[in-house]
Amino acid sequence: MSHRTKSLRITQEGEVVHCILSGDWINEHSSSAARQSWREFWRNSTNSPQTCFFSMDSGLSWDSSLLVFFFDVTGELSRKGVCADLSRIPPKVKKLLDFIDQRRGDSLSQPSYPEAKAIASGSGEKLFLSNIFTYWGRWLQALANFLIGRSFMRPRDLLNICRDCGASALPIVTLISFLTGLTMAFVGSVQLEKFNASIYIADLVSLAMVREMGGLMVGIVMAGRTGASFAAELGSMKIREEIDSLRTFGIPAVDFLVLPRTLALFLMTPLLTLYADVIGILGGLTVGTQVMDFSSIHYWEQTESALTNMWEVYSGLIKSIAFGLIVGLVGCYKGLHTGSDSAALGKSVTSSVVISITLIVVCDAFFEVAFSFLGYR
Amino acid sequence: MIEKVKDLPVLEVNDLQIAYGSKVVLQQVTFSVHPATCLVVMGPSGCGKSTLLKALIGLIRPAQGSIKYSDAELWGTKDSIDPSLLARFGVLFQGAALWSSMSIFENIALPLETFSSLSEQEIREVVRYKLSLVGLHGTEDLYPSELSGGMQKRAGLARALALDPQILFLDEPSAGLDPVNSRQLDELIIELKETLGVTFLVVSHELESIFSIADEALFLSPKEKGVLQYGQPRNWLAESPYSEIRNFLRRNEGCPTFQQ
Repeated sequence: MSHRTKSLRITQEGEVVHCILSGDWINEHSSSAARQSWREFWRNSTNSPQTCFFSMDSGLSWDSSLLVFFFDVTGELSRKGVCADLSRIPPKVKKLLDFIDQRRGDSLSQPSYPEAKAIASGSGEKLFLSNIFTYWGRWLQALANFLIGRSFMRPRDLLNICRDCGASALPIVTLISFLTGLTMAFVGSVQLEKFNASIYIADLVSLAMVREMGGLMVGIVMAGRTGASFAAELGSMKIREEIDSLRTFGIPAVDFLVLPRTLALFLMTPLLTLYADVIGILGGLTVGTQVMDFSSIHYWEQTESALTNMWEVYSGLIKSIAFGLIVGLVGCYKGLHTGSDSAALGKSVTSSVVISITLIVVCDAFFEVAFSFLGYR
Repeated sequence: MIEKVKDLPVLEVNDLQIAYGSKVVLQQVTFSVHPATCLVVMGPSGCGKSTLLKALIGLIRPAQGSIKYSDAELWGTKDSIDPSLLARFGVLFQGAALWSSMSIFENIALPLETFSSLSEQEIREVVRYKLSLVGLHGTEDLYPSELSGGMQKRAGLARALALDPQILFLDEPSAGLDPVNSRQLDELIIELKETLGVTFLVVSHELESIFSIADEALFLSPKEKGVLQYGQPRNWLAESPYSEIRNFLRRNEGCPTFQQ
């Protein structure tokens, strides 16, 4: 069935305008030509019309595009102060337009919000900094409660989270730290061979791993893996009012949710770092024995002599504890302070990872500067 | 066992004003709830029913006004609420808000483990009893995600009942329940009210249930940003002076209905 294009015939007799619609007013056809003639008529019209009569050709088929047209032009006419007479259009269309009109009146009649005299401290937008300090203070309080044995934390939760962020992270930590050691050995070997000092590859890999790369790599893996999952988990709990329901029972969310997570990371990151150190050194050993033809004993003895001072290892572990706390605290903070919709949850997770990694690198630099100023390097 | 004090209201709200930032969403809200009665809060969406509820349970600090539980002020001069008051009320959230990482048993047992000195065996019995009360016996070991929305709601009610609170706040309890369960929930509310003297504050849309459970009702209006009418709802349909309330109860707004 072929359709006729939408068109308008507009005529004016004194102060009265007649607008006759013809063609098929359905969505498949563009109404731009009709709109164009409508606009042109009003631009050129003289002696300010008072009333506009609408009528439709008989047998005209229509759908919602007709309603859109009427909705638009009646609004325009009422702004111009012209009375729109819709008595000759089908009653169905008229009824629907009245319905829309009524709803429009409803929303307009709603008063604006009055100003509060006293702004409630708990409901206004608190300053970002005060939020962070409140969180930090609550966490210290929760830690103190835990140390004197009055915490709401369930030991079972702590163990479960330890497993999730410790043992379950072993495969990815293995892969990443092995490849880190391997890559460092490859890069270093080319340079050291120039000086005929290839065996020092063992020193380079072992020192770099225990001082820097072990902790850093674990920190970054934790930020992407565990921190993000904390933010997502707590964020969705917040959205589903689970945090509110904890509060109504008088169980602080920081005690019950944040403390076990941060403690688990506090315990697990140094262990994972130690593991990453060993695996990284094995990565170096692989290059040393397979590519550079050292014997494994020779390589191992060289590593041992590089690590005679155990402080090298300890300093890396101390840093990793700080990284773990950063990841836990940032992830949980972002989760607890997420907005109330799903998009806000995504943002929280993203920013928890970005902030954690940034803080880890900043903190790492801070430690190195502090160590060298204090003469520990 | 809940103490019955017939004269003193369990909850007294006086000239409450709630604001988000500097926007006032509710003002001049005054009402009181007496022991073993049920107050239903109703009104069109966006009128601030849930906001009022959040203020009453201490999740939002009101801009001004007072909320008193029996004799104790919820928000004193301190910046936080008195934790001893929390045990006086139980809350059923709109989406049940069960802790998703815990089984149904753990959800109900957690407040008991934390705030009562019951033995493990006793806790088990209490949980089983509370679950049967809402018709969910045998679901102890399931996780919230394994229950349907309506069942989660009932488990949430069991958790709200865990500590035998004086007053129960229910946020749209029958939303998501089938007619039979919704009816049974109403009966449970009446039963708890009459036998144990529990007081209820229910936010509801369900007209049928409002009339069967409500002793008093509060109609909030988005236009007034506050209470439009407060009292016994039985005759509101016919006699309320406000057309907004009559239309709400009659399920129309007096506008042309949409017909084919």
